[in-house]
Amino acid sequence: MEEEKKEIDFEIGMKQNQELKLEEEPQQQQKQVGDEHVLRFLDSVDNYLTLFESLSCTLRQGWLELVSARHSMGASRVNSSLLDLKVHSASTSLQVTPDIVDSMEEQPHFILRKWGSLYDGKCSYEDQNSKVDGLQGKSGSPLPRHRGKPQLSEEISPKQAPLMVDDQVQKKRSRSLSVFGTLVSPQLRAAQLSFETALETLVEIANMRSTMLSTFNGVHKELGVAKEIR
Amino acid sequence: MYGFEALTFNIHGGYLEAIVRGHRSGLLTAADYNNLCQCETLDDIKMHLTATEYGPYLQNEPSPLHTTTIVEKCTLKLVDEYKHMLCQATEPLSIFLEYCTYGHMIDNVVLIVTGTLHERDVQELLEKCHPLGMFDSIATLAVAQNMRELYRLVLVDTPLAPYFSECITSEDLDDMNIEIMRNTLYKAYLEDFYRFCQKLGGATAEIMSDLLAFEADRRAVNITINSIGTELTRDDRRKLYSNFGLLYPYGHEELAVCEDLDQVRGVMEKYPPYQSIFSRLSYGESQLLDKAFYEEEVKRLCLSFEQQFHYAVFFAYMRLREQEIRNLMWISECVAQNQKSRVHDSVVFIF
Repeated sequence: MEEEKKEIDFEIGMKQNQELKLEEEPQQQQKQVGDEHVLRFLDSVDNYLTLFESLSCTLRQGWLELVSARHSMGASRVNSSLLDLKVHSASTSLQVTPDIVDSMEEQPHFILRKWGSLYDGKCSYEDQNSKVDGLQGKSGSPLPRHRGKPQLSEEISPKQAPLMVDDQVQKKRSRSLSVFGTLVSPQLRAAQLSFETALETLVEIANMRSTMLSTFNGVHKELGVAKEIR
Repeated sequence: MYGFEALTFNIHGGYLEAIVRGHRSGLLTAADYNNLCQCETLDDIKMHLTATEYGPYLQNEPSPLHTTTIVEKCTLKLVDEYKHMLCQATEPLSIFLEYCTYGHMIDNVVLIVTGTLHERDVQELLEKCHPLGMFDSIATLAVAQNMRELYRLVLVDTPLAPYFSECITSEDLDDMNIEIMRNTLYKAYLEDFYRFCQKLGGATAEIMSDLLAFEADRRAVNITINSIGTELTRDDRRKLYSNFGLLYPYGHEELAVCEDLDQVRGVMEKYPPYQSIFSRLSYGESQLLDKAFYEEEVKRLCLSFEQQFHYAVFFAYMRLREQEIRNLMWISECVAQNQKSRVHDSVVFIF
């Protein structure tokens, strides 16, 4: 009798353990998901602050290079009264696209269209190659094509395409700087590059902020769900 | 006759030479610059400058100060001193003093023409002009559409008229043409100034030849470096170099084909006076080149005061004052931008 009781108690205990385990599994999974959201949020905050620091350094460098250019070329050659007031199209624009995250939430994604090409902080050479045709249409001047022997491919080789893009970007950069004259000092060109880098960093900051807010919302939701369960 | 200036120079030039040597002693010293470099705000800089000869020009300026205000007021002092000397001078010293301002006149002409091309207000452009380069009909420059009109309507009655013969075309003014015009005018001005000093002879010719040759060489290097990677062809580049100086003609031939800074260095290191300048720079570095050239120029300008009875002291004084104003501009900007660690990058001590 006593043995039968013990067996029954053991079976009841086993069943209770199994039920407890079944209840704990989704809670553990939920905890893991919650930790993941928190980690992503903290990562995005860290990246956001790092980017801010980087922006501050780049802007300081740019302003000092501008002053250095004024020092070298003279105040009459580098001043605000030389900036062009004629109507002209922007060489750089910002594109905002909605990005679907986790099939539920819309998160804005910022893309910088710099000198007519796309930049979102992750542009690879392959992306630059695919943009070459677009640039060709916009600049109005056809890219050189190989003629003659059939062995020579008429497609632009992978090495040539980035060089052509760089060449066109360099020309557009020089054209925008020509308000201060065509023979400008290297310091002014360096200042232009610094401010360009700062603009790219700003776009990265905007995207990082968007990610940060999205992960924060995720953490917030997790906290709400956890409270409901309790 | 060289060596006998002491007999006759003081009759017409003695008073003004004494005046300019007095002005020279008022230039800021290394101690002044050390105090200025330690300032925390622009008001501190103003307070330090109030104790110098710039005091009367800055003391009534209200806070908050701007860096351009400091530069403007310091420039006003130079302008007042120049005007006093010019009105007291007789020929040929008065002509010499006028030559010292033609560079600013060229800069002002280009500023007005460029600003007009960019549809800027003429009044706004006139405020940015250097006061030493002003002339009566400068505002009329805004009317001209090409260089021929520029010459015919305005510049024919100015001292720059003789320099225009090489660049009169009917082409419309655009950024490249304006840049070529600027450099062609400056080249013609330097050559004319050089010829004038040679005609004066004596110590003036000897010292000014050295100073103007250095200016021409520095211009050639700057034109070369600034035109690397631009649409300016080698022939056009060569045409912008002056026809005198240590680098003329073989150095110019080599500079015309340079494609990067290291090639420029290779050319310049063949000339002993410039070897010391380029030896201080590491490969590929151009930022310290300006400072190195300014230091060499200041050394030569200070040496000109070691000799008496010549006009080069007037030129040297004006250039030293302009260097001082550049120093004050740099220090003010470093203080305003809270980048005092970089303040010694471009300050050139005069004494």
